[in-house]
Formats: sequence, structure tokens, C-alpha cells
Amino acid sequence: MKQNRPQPISRDPTCEEMQRPSRRAVLALGGTALACAAGSKAVRWATAPRAEVFVAKNQKYDRGCDLEKTIQDGLLSCGYQRQQFSGKRVLLKPNLVEPCRDIPHMTTHPAIIIAASEVFRRWGATVRVGEAPGHVRDTEMALIESGVGEALRDAGLTFADLNYEQVGWRRNRGRFSPLRGIYFPQNVLEADYVVSLPKLKTHHWVGLTCSMKNLYGVLPGIKYGWPKNVLHHNGIPHTVADINATLPNTLAIVDGIDCMEGDGPILGSLKRMELLLVGSNLPAVDATAARIIGLHAERISYLQLAADRLGPIADDRIEQRGESWQNVTSPFQILDEVHLRHLRTTPDGPLVS
Amino acid sequence: MNEPLNRLLKIIEQESWGYHPAGPQSAEPVAFACLALCANAMASEALPLASWLAEIQSPVGSVGVTGEQETPAWPTSLALLAWLACDHASGNEDFDAARQQAVDWALDARGKAAPQQAHIGHDTTLLGWSWAAATHSWLEPTCLFVLALKAVGQSEHPRTREGVRLIIDRQLELGGCNFGNTKVLGQATLPHVQSTGLAMLTVAAEPSTDPRILRSLEYLGRELSKKTATASLCFALLGLTAHGRRPAHAAELLKHALAREVEYGPSCYKLALLTLAGTMDLSWPLAQIPRQLSAL
Repeated sequence: MKQNRPQPISRDPTCEEMQRPSRRAVLALGGTALACAAGSKAVRWATAPRAEVFVAKNQKYDRGCDLEKTIQDGLLSCGYQRQQFSGKRVLLKPNLVEPCRDIPHMTTHPAIIIAASEVFRRWGATVRVGEAPGHVRDTEMALIESGVGEALRDAGLTFADLNYEQVGWRRNRGRFSPLRGIYFPQNVLEADYVVSLPKLKTHHWVGLTCSMKNLYGVLPGIKYGWPKNVLHHNGIPHTVADINATLPNTLAIVDGIDCMEGDGPILGSLKRMELLLVGSNLPAVDATAARIIGLHAERISYLQLAADRLGPIADDRIEQRGESWQNVTSPFQILDEVHLRHLRTTPDGPLVS
Repeated sequence: MNEPLNRLLKIIEQESWGYHPAGPQSAEPVAFACLALCANAMASEALPLASWLAEIQSPVGSVGVTGEQETPAWPTSLALLAWLACDHASGNEDFDAARQQAVDWALDARGKAAPQQAHIGHDTTLLGWSWAAATHSWLEPTCLFVLALKAVGQSEHPRTREGVRLIIDRQLELGGCNFGNTKVLGQATLPHVQSTGLAMLTVAAEPSTDPRILRSLEYLGRELSKKTATASLCFALLGLTAHGRRPAHAAELLKHALAREVEYGPSCYKLALLTLAGTMDLSWPLAQIPRQLSAL
């Protein structure tokens, strides 16, 4: 989303005004300036990007909770229509960064993936699940440890190992980092919609990992390594923003049911929130997620970069659907590190070491 | 003829030379297939694979990840091993020039070292090899280049020695290896079977008495089961075998993994690894290892 920002209105003063401004002139000028400033602000506000984010509470992974209905309601309330997915290719991208059966709250729960796939299938889309695990070369291991492989087989879903596919180069449309272009796997390039299905977690370097950071996992390890160190060397926030700027047609469905706090994104503790977030604009979704877990969205580096260029992050530009985020907020523990402390909205809240 | 080898030959004939049946022809699967065939005295069948690796070798000596992607070039290490095995098996010197160029490139390639940082547990000053150019040295590419350089007689080269130090430095205190880090912000990282297996294979003939190596071998022994993913299982068996610790039920685990692969569509990569892991002769990767294996 790109903005043509209105420029502040100004005029040059006359010689007379410069020499001897009358009180009336001062008042008039002041009034005009105020009016212009207010008008300009109003224009900016009116034309600034806005987005809807849907939040649902009391969500559970078990079959008794109708996750499909929640996701469907979320998509519809964010402005999607079922017809627009008919005949389209939808790639679901869960977070399987470094799965471990002892830490299930690290990775997207299979129930979320299956529920999302059922919604898009019912709406006529061809659904594929794809991931390029960032910390393990053995993708089969990632599927086994996360339980996702078994769930996909049971549901008759195809998995695309994005780490080892044919790749194609695309110009970097973000240019937040020095990277001129980005390599994407074939299944990403061919998708009409890429759906980020992240797990809501703290992140020990950037504070939060949610739908935007999850898209690191569409980049192929065969080009970027394990970890995708090329991205780190070009700046984590900058490359997160670049990937999001370059991918067309993304949306987000966030697994915020069993979350991770503390030393995320791998070794943190379970934080049960029972939430599910849906949105068409990933910066808006992540900004809402940040507020829910007690972080200043405006201080998270990649959201700062994304703000207004890729989408809105200001609270007054995000239209809440479903639950208001204020009603479900519950601050997450974060690591007691200098680079993280300033992110907290509750300075007296819990820190862990 | 054993079953994975038989299936490997078929898939090679179909020119499905990738990580997945429909994936692009890729250097790593081709190199492992070449090694698997040579380990089974099938030099003539391996020759087209080794030749393909030579065809995609760049003028500067590196071998890229796929037939179309010249970079990154960490598979140069595996191409070296494949060419060496092929020439050794055939008794020819078909790939002598390609090898020499690749060795020169490998010795020139450097992962980025960095000043030691308090929040990172491993020794960031050690120089190894990276996955991609101009990035940090990581465990697995360093293992692959150390294996290759040892195989071509560069065991005592300072780069090889420093690579070995890096591999040992990246062992976790309780055993096993992560993909690279040992600790981040004071927290120990998770061990993984595949990276640990490769590391154990690489340091098999090293005189190190670091207690973490024994713990890593014990970790591998504990982790292996019928649920272990195929590539992880194969690297673990290669590592354990190289240390004379091949588990008694290795054949059963491999058979189970093969059945799983066949059910879901086997790839050149997995079949090559299954063939290699089923082979007791590990003379392909290390000049030093056969001495140990002969005692098995």
C-alpha cells in the first residue's frame, strides 16, 4: 500500500506583512495556519491507509471449538468475499521454524492450518501448505516434530518444501535493505494468495514475531542458508519489511491460542491466550498483536519501517472487528535485555532472564 | 542388489536428480548419489552424475546449489567428494582438473568471523565456511568442506584445522549440535539429529578428547527411532558408524524409513542417503575412517 502524502499548504508572506505584521494579520495568519494544519491533518487522516483486524477470543484447538467458523467470520468481517478465492491458488504458510515435540507452543498448531485450509477449499480455492523451516535442513523432521505432517496427510493436503524448490528472482519492492532482489520458491510465485499463519510469540531480537516476520519462512534455504543469514546480515527489520513489500496478496490468520512469551521464538514459555486474529493487512495485524501482548507497536523496528508504507500501525487507523484488543490484552513476559525493555507498554511488568 | 540402491538407479535414469521427485536437479543430491554408487562399486553409473557436477562448475571452481543457480556454492564440497570417489572407483583421473579448481576455491571461501559477543555462546572468531557468501561460518557447511579437504589430502591445512576446532566448539554442553549456535542470550539451543550426525562423521578420526563428542554420540544413540526422519536418520547412522557405534537395529530403521519414502514418493536425495547409510564402507568421505570401520 503506497501513499501520496498531501504536502503542508504554505504561502509566502507579503513584504508588508514581513515588515510590520498587524495584530489582526497575526491572528489571521495564525488562524489560517491552524486551519491549514488542521485541514492538512484531516486530509492525511482521511487518506491514510486503514485496515480491519478481527480478533476472536475463547478459541481452542479441539474439535469442539469451530475454528473454521471463526476464520470464516474473520475473513468476511475484514472485507473478503468467498467468490474472490474461487479458482485461486492459496498458499498457507505456518511457522515451523525449528519444531520440537516438547515445545508445541513454538509452532503453528495443525488445527489452525487444517481449519484455514477447509475455509479456502470450501470457497473454491486450491490450497497448498508450504514452509521453508529456517533452522533445520530436514524438512521432514520439522513436519514430524510439529505434528503438521500427519495432520496434512489426514486432511489430504499437499505440502510444498519451500527450502528446495525451483526459485525465481523478483525485484525488491521495499528497498528497506540493500538487497536488489529476493528469490522466492515456485509455489510462492505461483500463489494468488499467500496466507501467513504465524504463532504469536515474543522474539528475543525484535520483540515480536507474528504475521510479517513469519514470511521469512517463504524464502528458500537453498539460497539463503540455515539460518537465513543473508537476511540477518542485511538487517532483520529491513528484510522483514522488504519481503512483505515484495509479496503481493498476503493475508494473516494468527494462532494466538497457545502462545510463547519470554525467550521466543524458540525457547520461551507457554502463554495461553485463546485468541485468533485475522486481517488483510499484515502490519495492522502485527500492530494489534503487539498491543495485545503489551508492546508498543510503534517501537517495533519492522513495524516502524512498515508504517504507512505497507499498512497502518496506528491504533486509530485500525478498525477492530470482533473483540476489541483492549479487552483481551495480557502483557507477555519479555527478556530482561536493553534492546527489549523499551518496547513494553507496562514498564513494571514481568521480565525474565 | 539392495532396495534403496535399486530404486536410486531407477530414479537417476529418470533424471529426477533433486531433493524431491519433481524438484530441480541439484548438486547435493547428485553428489550423494554419486558417492552412493561409488560405495557400491558402480563407477560407470556414477560417471554421468560426476560429469554433470563438472558441467555446472563455474569458471572460478565453485559448484552452485542447482543446475540453474550458481550461488550459493557450498555444494562445491560435495562435488569434490563425488569427483574423488568417482576417480578412485574408476581408476581414472577424469576430474583431476575440476578437483584442483574446487580445492582452490574452497580454500579461498571464508565464512565471516566476528568479534566475540557476550550474548552468543560459540566462538564467533573461528573461521569456517558459510552457507552463502559474506555471511557467518556455520556448522554444516564447515563440516562438508572439512570432509572434502581431508579427503583430498588437506587434512593438516590450517583452514581444515580451524574448521575442526569450529565443529568441536559448536557441540552443545549436554551433547548434540544445533544448526550453529550453542547459546543465545545465555540460553542453550536445541540439539538436532542431522547436524549432529554430520558433525560426528566429520570429527570421527580427530584425536580430540573433548567430552562433548561422547555426549553427542550418546545423544544420537538415544534419539534414533522409527519416527526419525529419513535424512536425519541417515546422517546419524553415518556419524555413529564412523565412531564404531552403529546401532544394532540400524538395518531395521533404514528399512522402515525406506518404506515411508516409497509410500510418499522417494527422491534422489533420500535414496542416495539411504544407500550410503546402509553401506558399511565409509571410505568415500574420509581417508582416515576406514581404519576404524575395519574393526566393525
